[in-house]
Amino acid sequence: MIGTVSISPLTRIEGHLAIHASTEPAGTGDEQGFRVSEARCEGEMYRGFEQILVGRDPMDAQQITQRICGVCPVSHGIASVQAQEMAYGIHPTRNGRLLQNLILAANYLQSHILHFYHLAALDFVDVTAVLAYEGVDRTLQALKTWVATSLARKDVFPAAPFLPRFEAEYVKDADRNIALLAHYVQALEMRRVCHEMGAIFGARLPHTTALVPGGCTQVPTMAGILEYQSRLKRVLGFIEATYLPDLLEVAKEFPDYFEMGVGYNNYLCYGVFPMDDGYTDRFLRPGVVMDGAWEALDPSAIREDVAQSRYANAAPKHPSQGESQPQANKSDAYSWIKAPRYKGSPMEVGPLARVMANYLSPKDSFVKAEVDAFLSQVELPAEKLRSVLGRHVARGLETKWIARQAFRWLDELQIDEPPTRDFELPKTGSGVGLTEAPRGALGHWLAIKDYRIERYQCVVPTTWNCSPRDSAGKPGPVEKALEGTKVRDEAQPIEVGRVVRSFDPCLACAVH
Amino acid sequence: MHGHSRREFLQMGASLAAALGLGQKQAIALADGLERLAEQKTRVLWLQGMSCSGCSVSFLNTDTPDPVEVLTEMISLVFHQTISATQGTQAMETLSKAVDEGNYCLVVEGAIPLTMQNACTIGGKPLATLLPPILRNAQAVVAAGTCAAFGGIPAAEGNATGAASVKECMEKAGIPVAKRLINCPGCPVHPQTLVATLAYVANKRFPDVDPVLLTPTAFYRHSVHDECPRFHYWEKHEFAEKFGDEGCLFKLGCLGPLSHTNCPRRQWNSGVNWCIRAGAPCIGCTNEQFAKKKDFPFYRKGEQYHAVEYQEQDRKGPKDET
Repeated sequence: MIGTVSISPLTRIEGHLAIHASTEPAGTGDEQGFRVSEARCEGEMYRGFEQILVGRDPMDAQQITQRICGVCPVSHGIASVQAQEMAYGIHPTRNGRLLQNLILAANYLQSHILHFYHLAALDFVDVTAVLAYEGVDRTLQALKTWVATSLARKDVFPAAPFLPRFEAEYVKDADRNIALLAHYVQALEMRRVCHEMGAIFGARLPHTTALVPGGCTQVPTMAGILEYQSRLKRVLGFIEATYLPDLLEVAKEFPDYFEMGVGYNNYLCYGVFPMDDGYTDRFLRPGVVMDGAWEALDPSAIREDVAQSRYANAAPKHPSQGESQPQANKSDAYSWIKAPRYKGSPMEVGPLARVMANYLSPKDSFVKAEVDAFLSQVELPAEKLRSVLGRHVARGLETKWIARQAFRWLDELQIDEPPTRDFELPKTGSGVGLTEAPRGALGHWLAIKDYRIERYQCVVPTTWNCSPRDSAGKPGPVEKALEGTKVRDEAQPIEVGRVVRSFDPCLACAVH
Repeated sequence: MHGHSRREFLQMGASLAAALGLGQKQAIALADGLERLAEQKTRVLWLQGMSCSGCSVSFLNTDTPDPVEVLTEMISLVFHQTISATQGTQAMETLSKAVDEGNYCLVVEGAIPLTMQNACTIGGKPLATLLPPILRNAQAVVAAGTCAAFGGIPAAEGNATGAASVKECMEKAGIPVAKRLINCPGCPVHPQTLVATLAYVANKRFPDVDPVLLTPTAFYRHSVHDECPRFHYWEKHEFAEKFGDEGCLFKLGCLGPLSHTNCPRRQWNSGVNWCIRAGAPCIGCTNEQFAKKKDFPFYRKGEQYHAVEYQEQDRKGPKDET
């Protein structure tokens, strides 16, 4: 007996995603429920950025590509300016590099905080627990009154958008739920403060206008450095005293999720945050983990497969030669997402991939000590990181590392030195920008002819993670991670949502 | 719940408190809550078309009021793809129930693909067919951001989807736009502009709008150039030559004269900075033509090398102060 489970649309992610899965009975006897035997990720939106970019002035690209995604625009901006900088034959000035890092760091912090509290947490936290609140906190009192009155009045949509929801097992302890809700509210403020930090050097967020090839238009000032630093202290305090402890509370309550959503043992990381003016080292370094074994990154081994994607059929191509001819009604396709593969294999990208690529690397890295310290604290072996909770943990740890590192970049800024390096636009040229968005490995490939964009291809984190099957029929990483997921109630498959959200999908990115 | 007296609210609060096992102090708080909620809650449905969610993220950057105040005191956000707890079939049912009930304001973020309809689907249904009945039943429609207001980047030259604005979608479906559609452009929309527009709608009022662009005049009347803090450099013909320079940013590509918005006064992200103050040329993100033409680049560095589709005067806007 085969059943089906669908979440369409999957909310609390960026963009338009549907999940369709087949299930089978989980077992006999006392074991109840179902188990996912096969899953499909369907990207439901296509805009065609790559065609829109062709023929434009190359400098337009960093503004246009930021609009691929409003959650991680800075990462697209960075990938685009890096591709341009390579084509123009320059690196940013020291200030330019540091300012780019600081704007990107601010957006990483806002994105990760947003993901944990506002996208993922409602799968675990019981909002209705606020009804038992007896304390004097104004916000919680107001929330309680709001939920209570709208439930009691039998409103058509009580406590929307927090209700309705799937009826499932949430955190049981009322006080813990109430604390998590209070932090949901506090996190709204914290992520806003992170965007203020980004705007201090980036003019505004989302969609920074200050980022340019060669650096940043904002001259660093003492006042700006202090404004950023003061906010960063508050945010780091929140990460250490609230976000990471909350993550551990959720982990304690749902230990099963260290076993679920395992996926492939393949991880890809391009590296992010250049540490030196020659761009030889990154704060989080590039690396590949193939079936559990570390190897050095070789960007020439990337191909994009479109066998089951809504694009004209073609042999898998490297992004520098890539094409995106849409075919909305292609019969054997089920997604707008392409299927990027590395040496023919599906690869997971994101915070967990960055942690794995650095943890397993033969090079010495702070990541090893940090991860080992965490694992001994929770008494778990490293392989348990390959799970739903492992992805949340990797994201949380990384948030702390980036916040701490940002203080050092602030210290390195030189207020008397220029924030940009000038450049000449070349008649022809090409460039690649490889960086990491909060959601994973991000690459932009640019070719210039007659001072215009001849070709522009983006391979984006969620393109990797939510990719459909390829021409060999191999499922994408999220599809693979869903296999074996236990579902208690097929009509309310909250477990499926928990697995998918651990990847922090961004569909506007995946299909651009 | 309209038309109840204070006494009735107190009674309701008391019975509610009793039902929940709470004391007298709580009863008064509940009565206050009931009274406030009964008076102010306007249902809002928020749908995303071909969008990047940047306008949703920008909305969350509202500081006064903060997002929780907006959600619990000002409006009832019945559905939002990025924020709602609900998902899947339950989400689609919530949406259709809300549409059947009527009496809601619709916020649209993103453009709508009118020709390649598969290019945006929600719950497996093309947005281009899902949206018209929802638009028709709405008391007010707010197009949040330049994609929804004017098509934006998805509708730029070379697109294959037939991406269109909310206005085009309504006109195609024969839905009147006057006194119903409010355009709030910006890439992204400014959070305070959006929240203030929602405040009009939540209070059953319709803001004064530009007769052609349908943008609220309170926020979109003046150009960035008119209120620019670097205007004195323009008057003295002192221009920045490269990024990071002092001076008027016009020769780097600033589109302040073409961009009608209150950025110079409001600034961005709780007022910490904004484009011109950061030395970044205005890219004209509230303009109807934002990003649309391949031959109208944001920056002017390249114009000496390749053909462009504008004259100097086109970048200066209708008024030329020099």
